[in-house]
Amino acid sequence: MRLSFGRGLERVLSLMRSRISVSLSASPLMLNLKLQVLLFKDPDERKPLIPHPNPVSKPPNGTDWITTSVPSARTDEQALLTSILTKTAQNIIDVSAADSVMMEQHEYMDKARQYSTKLAVLSNTLPQKKSLALPSLTSQPHQVLASDQVPYSDVQQVAKIAAYAHSAISQIKVDAKEELVVQFAIP
Amino acid sequence: MTTAALTAGLERIPDQLGYLVISEDGVLASAGELENDEQTAAVMMQMVRTASRFKLPGSAEPPFKRMSVTLEDFVYMVTVSGQKVFVVKRQNNQQEPIST
Repeated sequence: MRLSFGRGLERVLSLMRSRISVSLSASPLMLNLKLQVLLFKDPDERKPLIPHPNPVSKPPNGTDWITTSVPSARTDEQALLTSILTKTAQNIIDVSAADSVMMEQHEYMDKARQYSTKLAVLSNTLPQKKSLALPSLTSQPHQVLASDQVPYSDVQQVAKIAAYAHSAISQIKVDAKEELVVQFAIP
Repeated sequence: MTTAALTAGLERIPDQLGYLVISEDGVLASAGELENDEQTAAVMMQMVRTASRFKLPGSAEPPFKRMSVTLEDFVYMVTVSGQKVFVVKRQNNQQEPIST
């Protein structure tokens, strides 16, 4: 895409505000803009806009180059724009950390391996959960089950206690004394 | 312990109406009114598991040997021994004392 601007420095700055970074190379007759649409990748990754004379240059990761380059440059305008860009790049906080994750992939794998070996060691020493689930109550199950049944009086007593407890719990209620929300009168 | 050894003792329990022997994998043996009663087995397993988690302060073991589920006409008695749950259904012989 080839954009031609007259004297459009104001236009360039408004484009800056809408977060498109611009590099400016000007010929004596017209300004051609090289537009980089940056997708908020890592600011370290983003190389603000050294005008590249070679149009076939490979774009940095995640950026789109829509570029036409003009060999000659108005250095003062370019320097001004570059400084604006640098300031903006410093003020923008990049939250996508895609590159940094990729860089540490081997470290990530190492850590994962480290943790899994540690887990394997620990799981051998941990007690098995199943054996704790059902503790043995007796070694004489037949004798225990054949023994006398629970006396009627005991059952009655337990039922009475449970009824009292149920009644007490059902009487728990909130005793509202004051308003929860109050208005502060601001004179 | 063979299954026969497990169940022989249960058969001999006076006034028993049926029994179940249950392991973590499922029902090992059943008889009488509890024959093939997977539903009762599941309920009893859950109840005894919950009850086993009650501990008295200062003790690591469950504070009971046997759990009785007492209904009007009969009572389920449950205990755990050697990773197996034993359930026996017995006639309820505890009546309200008749005052004369």
